[in-house]
Amino acid sequence: MLIFVQRLGRLVFVFFVVTFVTFFLLDQAPGDPAERFAGLNATPEVVEGIRANLGLNGSLLERYTRWLGNAVRFDFGDSIVTRGFSSWDLIRESLPKTLELMVLAEIMAIGMAVPLALASARRPGGFIDKAASSTAFGLLALPAFVLGIYMSFVFGVKLGWFPTIVDNLPGLNDDPLNNLRQMFLPSLTLALNLVAVYLRLLRSDLIETLQEDYVMLAQARGLSERRIMWRHVLRPSSLNFTTAVGLNIAGLIGGAFIIEVLFAINGMGRLVIQSVILEDFNVVAAVVAILTVAYVMMNFLVDVLYSILDPRIRHGAR
Amino acid sequence: MMLVSTRRHTLAILVSGALLAAACSGSDSADSPNATEAPATAAEADPDSSEPADTSDTAAQSTEPDEPAPLEDADQLTSEGEGNADLASLEPVAGGEITFGLTNDGTGFDTTGAIAPGSIRVITALNDSLVGLDANANWQPNLAESLTPNDDFTSWTITMRQGLLFHDGEPVDGEAVRANLQAFKDSPIVGFAMAQITTITAVDELSVRLDLSAPWASLPYGLVGQPGWMVSPSTIGTNETFTGTGPFMLESWTPGDGARVVRNPNYWRADEGLPYLDAINFKFLVDLTVKRQAFEAGDVQGYISPGDEDIVDFLEDDETDVWIGTAGANEYLWLLNTTAPPFDDLRVRQAMAHAIDKQFIIDTFRSGLTIPANGPLNPSDRWYTENNYPQFDPAAAQALVDEYEAEVGPIEFELSIEPNASVIEVAEVMMSFLTDVGIDGKIKEIGQGQSALTAIQDDFQAFSWFQFGSPDPDGEYPFFHSSGGFLNWTNLVSADIDAGLDAGRQNIDEAARKAGYAQFLQALGDEVPMIWVDHLNGVEAVVTLPELHGIGTPGLLPDGSASLAMTNGNFFAWPGVWIEQ
Repeated sequence: MLIFVQRLGRLVFVFFVVTFVTFFLLDQAPGDPAERFAGLNATPEVVEGIRANLGLNGSLLERYTRWLGNAVRFDFGDSIVTRGFSSWDLIRESLPKTLELMVLAEIMAIGMAVPLALASARRPGGFIDKAASSTAFGLLALPAFVLGIYMSFVFGVKLGWFPTIVDNLPGLNDDPLNNLRQMFLPSLTLALNLVAVYLRLLRSDLIETLQEDYVMLAQARGLSERRIMWRHVLRPSSLNFTTAVGLNIAGLIGGAFIIEVLFAINGMGRLVIQSVILEDFNVVAAVVAILTVAYVMMNFLVDVLYSILDPRIRHGAR
Repeated sequence: MMLVSTRRHTLAILVSGALLAAACSGSDSADSPNATEAPATAAEADPDSSEPADTSDTAAQSTEPDEPAPLEDADQLTSEGEGNADLASLEPVAGGEITFGLTNDGTGFDTTGAIAPGSIRVITALNDSLVGLDANANWQPNLAESLTPNDDFTSWTITMRQGLLFHDGEPVDGEAVRANLQAFKDSPIVGFAMAQITTITAVDELSVRLDLSAPWASLPYGLVGQPGWMVSPSTIGTNETFTGTGPFMLESWTPGDGARVVRNPNYWRADEGLPYLDAINFKFLVDLTVKRQAFEAGDVQGYISPGDEDIVDFLEDDETDVWIGTAGANEYLWLLNTTAPPFDDLRVRQAMAHAIDKQFIIDTFRSGLTIPANGPLNPSDRWYTENNYPQFDPAAAQALVDEYEAEVGPIEFELSIEPNASVIEVAEVMMSFLTDVGIDGKIKEIGQGQSALTAIQDDFQAFSWFQFGSPDPDGEYPFFHSSGGFLNWTNLVSADIDAGLDAGRQNIDEAARKAGYAQFLQALGDEVPMIWVDHLNGVEAVVTLPELHGIGTPGLLPDGSASLAMTNGNFFAWPGVWIEQ
């Protein structure tokens, strides 16, 4: 319980620091968003009114405090560029697609990496290990934009199995088949890049764990190889792997810009890049706030998972 | 493959915005090769004159040009495949939906503001303009039943058709038209295009009278574009939706992604079976490779081509149609802010024009498909005349630079440009020509879709630009005339330019108009407020599957006469688009 409170306190602290720094940096940017929003020939009174509506009046601290108060209610202000839409409106459109992409990619990546790592670690230097390692290095060397175009060409253009772009994506509850079909190629492209990293990390730790005495004891007791690998080796070998997955998930919540462009997904990556380019400060601040929370939360979850995976951490032995 | 050319007026697209006011029309610059920037206007656009043939026997009719607008370029590139004859024999079928790729994202639908090209493309399906363009690019009443001028063209009366409804069921009556035109005129961004209108009065239930401060014989052309777009009065100024009169209704718009429009069951031309399609998904596809792969996979049935690569690549492809606008396209150019150093000095402007080899750019970046430009009018345009715009002559450029530098100092400037890789490539080559003669230019990237706003605020020295596809030169009036205010991009004030444009606007006599536009073009060549590169005819295109029809072929006006094809500048041709089932 104490740990939970400590983590929560850390989350709140980091959130304040990051959002305030972001606010400060945006405040230093050239230009006056209120004047821009007001348009041409706007009177000073109109500009001031818009400044107030956008929450841009007052000192930096006043504005930050006001923004913070609104942010907890998911009121991040209106988009300065896309009039008629709030920042949250834009995020609400993008975030679900990005989350789905991230979740599917992680499921695919983990689903491929774990069995391959186990098979590789059982016979280091064997055929499976060599094939998996070679493939992993190849995938690592392939940039996402090359891999994505290739996947799209083969499975979309030539074979016609999957759409090459995500268009009018139905909700997962509304039409799961269509949804998953559209999201398959982008998720797989993203997953293949992740598989390589996960595979290498997990394989190394598995091989190290296999040298432990308790594993040899288990073998001497006649436990099946499969049981030993899945029950006694995988769990203690998963710390680095878990860390990598956690960090990737946190990072992907910010969007996978290249994948989103390649498959025309209106996700967080495109939203972030566009908002920065167009100086849509309210949207940028909102996205940073959400990403901050996501990052800290993911780190917290990874810490919790550590103690579950390795009781020694929970009991302070390590 | 079928290569059908069409005259595209490009719309003006505007890019960004702006626009428009004035006349406008055009195409998306976005589509243009490279495009990116351009402002446009959606505002005026096009055609020509007066009342409907069957209703007017008055002055209105007399305002029509004696000869049709020149479309000699149209269809010079003809089908090599099924051919027009085959197309003509096909009976349109109703139903189906398509996904259509756009190059630029939209920023909203406020008809009183600067509208981005991506938004304009969507509006083309949601809207009908007061005035349309016939196959000769002459104006014809469209949503309006008639437009009737007084004897000296200082007043026009617009009479609407009976029974028209907006998408929300509200009537399209005289008051609604008045409210829309008044809001446009009052807009600080686009109102300059209608500055000559002094009062707008709803005369009766279906009629509106426009009183002008000076004769304006070609006013109806201005109502083809943005000023002529009518939305339900309660939604005027609304940016997130568009409640118009067109064949399709906006179902959803997701910024950064696209829009979906669905058939309007109460469309005023529904008894003609229009529109044919059930729905159109406009999809924003920024990357060319993605767009091409999506098209080849059948995930999009058509898209705005970003340039010559598609035309060259698809030329021999029997399974792809490329519809090329061959007239009325935008131009690629650089705007020069003539009120700020160093471009407040004519010698610098002339030196830049002399320094740049336009043909090299055309050969290198357009596959030789475009035509060198010396001004906004294409040589195929009936109003075109030659001028003395400085031609490629590095020695002359060097002499002017030396003279200026001896008096003032080094020539340095920034070129504002949207982040479009293909356009930046061209700009960099142009910069290298300038470097050769001692002019030091730097590229300054601005945000996507921000061209018009940046130009309006005069926050630039030079600007990479796409524009000027209006079917009638009067459409360019506010962008060059000293009364154009924000829209006079280069801020040049020239008595000759003003006089020439005024003559073109106020006269109905073709010879007088041509003389006016000759004066205008000559002054542009002498003053060099812009660095012209090329007319983009031949590279602005729409790529479609052969099963998709109606994109590059003429549509029908309400009176049954042929209209311009979509790729020739008739943005509102979506009712006639259909797909084989």
